Amino acid sequence: MVDVAVIGAGQTKFGNHALGLKGMWSESAENAFASVDGDFDPSMVDEAFIGSIAFGGGQIGNTAALLTEHTGMDNIPVRRVENACASSGFAFRDAWMAIKSGQADIVVAGGIEKMNDLTPERKRYWLGVSGDTEWERLAGLTFPGTYALMARRHFHEYGSVHDDLVNISVKNHMHGLDNEYAHLRKDVSFDKAQNGFMVADPLTLYDCCPTSDGASTVILAADHVAKSLCEDPVWVLGSGAGSDNLALHDRPSITQLVSTQRAAISAYDQAGITANDIDLAEVHDCFTIAELMATEDLGFAPRGEGGLFAREGRGRRNEGDVTINPSGGLKSKGHPLGATGTGQVVEVFKQLRGEVESSRQVRDASIALTHNVGGSGATCAVHVFGRDLN
Amino acid sequence: MSSNQSINWQGNLACLKDEGLVIKSRHVVGGKHVFGPDSDFTTLAISGLALLSEESEVKAIKIDSNIDEFPLQACGYSIDDSADWNVSCDSESACISISKSKELTWQVDGEELDQELYIKIQDAWSQEMDAVSQGAFISEQSYRSGAPSRMNFISQQLGDIRIWPPREMIGDQRPHEAAPMTQAGTIESWTTLSAGGAPSEFSLRAPLLGGICTVYVRMDDGPCGVFLVADDESNAPVIGNRVNFAVRRIYAQDGLIRYGLKALLP
Repeated sequence: MVDVAVIGAGQTKFGNHALGLKGMWSESAENAFASVDGDFDPSMVDEAFIGSIAFGGGQIGNTAALLTEHTGMDNIPVRRVENACASSGFAFRDAWMAIKSGQADIVVAGGIEKMNDLTPERKRYWLGVSGDTEWERLAGLTFPGTYALMARRHFHEYGSVHDDLVNISVKNHMHGLDNEYAHLRKDVSFDKAQNGFMVADPLTLYDCCPTSDGASTVILAADHVAKSLCEDPVWVLGSGAGSDNLALHDRPSITQLVSTQRAAISAYDQAGITANDIDLAEVHDCFTIAELMATEDLGFAPRGEGGLFAREGRGRRNEGDVTINPSGGLKSKGHPLGATGTGQVVEVFKQLRGEVESSRQVRDASIALTHNVGGSGATCAVHVFGRDLN
Repeated sequence: MSSNQSINWQGNLACLKDEGLVIKSRHVVGGKHVFGPDSDFTTLAISGLALLSEESEVKAIKIDSNIDEFPLQACGYSIDDSADWNVSCDSESACISISKSKELTWQVDGEELDQELYIKIQDAWSQEMDAVSQGAFISEQSYRSGAPSRMNFISQQLGDIRIWPPREMIGDQRPHEAAPMTQAGTIESWTTLSAGGAPSEFSLRAPLLGGICTVYVRMDDGPCGVFLVADDESNAPVIGNRVNFAVRRIYAQDGLIRYGLKALLP
């Protein structure tokens, strides 16, 4: 079966943009096209998948057609992919499957979200649309509340403590400090993160990612095309995805994400690796507790020891077992919902090719992972990438 | 039945009498009983009927026009103008009489509620009634179809497994409707959302109340659920503590107040 590579990847800065949807997409796509080693013409693209929640309702229907017409991908099949915050993780998986199936040779996967041009009330409304509307939202829950319930339960069951989450926050801000694409480039001290404004007890402002504007674009190609267009492709070694009950109360446990576990097992099996083989991981830390649980669900730490893993700094760049969120993660790099999944791929593409700022480079990285979660874990996409195909 | 003995019942004050029951909000402003942050005549009536049902058989009732009949129907009561039991609202205070004969009265002291806060909360409810959803919301149809489960814990059964909230499973996973669950459970987790973190439906009241508190509860019958805390109680919940439930206001939108079960902290 055909192998699939990433041959180009680009994004906008994540943060507050003066640009609208079309402008952000054009900038992101242009950066991706320019990153391809050889000459690349967007008319070569066979198909495109663009992840977006349509936050704010500015453009809900036919988003993909509207965006791609501005970037030279005329008249090809396009569609918007929606799986909450995992929208572009799944757009990437769809693009990978389109090539794997033999129906396409060059496919674009991307994501986009415009979040910061809304009034605070309208923003609060949209932040709650991906949970179980009837039974969670009516109980006053948005995602800070949902993840706060998970965090408090994890503390209770496993003895993890809020300082473990503080360690994650401090690490990710430190990782994102030199990332030119990051939304929040600031050094955050342990003391400051420990005493942040309480958003959803026990989660403070420093446990929560920001709402960001941004777009990201990735170009995937079949092996026979990739080698002609790209001197140094990054290979997709495994693609896994999973789902779970949408509402927390329908799950057997609220301290683990089954969707992540299933996605990881599938991706690792395809890649023929274990968690121990991974050098860097872009993990979905929409809240610090999400990263803590992901370290367990992805197999970096045993069940219940995610807190210890964070406490011992085992996810720090070039210091621990595996570098977790070298980009700064959602916490520092930002979280433009639909753009996050392919934004993670942009980071991995550059890390594996040695193209990030030298201060951020993960040394000798050859295998990387992206982990993109929708909502509180109802959907999840995990991808494994390698410098080499085998 | 006893007489004139005050019972703390679902966050209210109640008195069982030979002829029926009187139930009042426990909140007082200037000596007058007033509704708390999430209560009204409808919630007071449901609470009173639940207590009275422990002593007497109450199926059909006639109600005052100040009471929303739909939540009472969702809780299993039939509304019938010829019914023996009459649920009547006091015109001066947050008080309800339920009896088969004359309207009952009862004097009891309450807890003083800050007058300014009380006025602001009532104003917020009025504004909420005029609020219009921005799109994906809980329609009136959806609210009404889920009401028996949301207000009376109507559940489902599949083999030995109790299911709540109800699910629309197919094939051999299709459950059948079961009796209401026991209205008791244990707190497994909780959070208090700041005003800025609360959904937009709560954006007017959450700042007044210092946020909103939600508990994750494992019911005694097995299922789990998330619930707002009744009365917007300022006490922090504790994992492992027992909770009971009462129907209260949740939010208002499109001219309709949404009611549902909320958790009563011990």
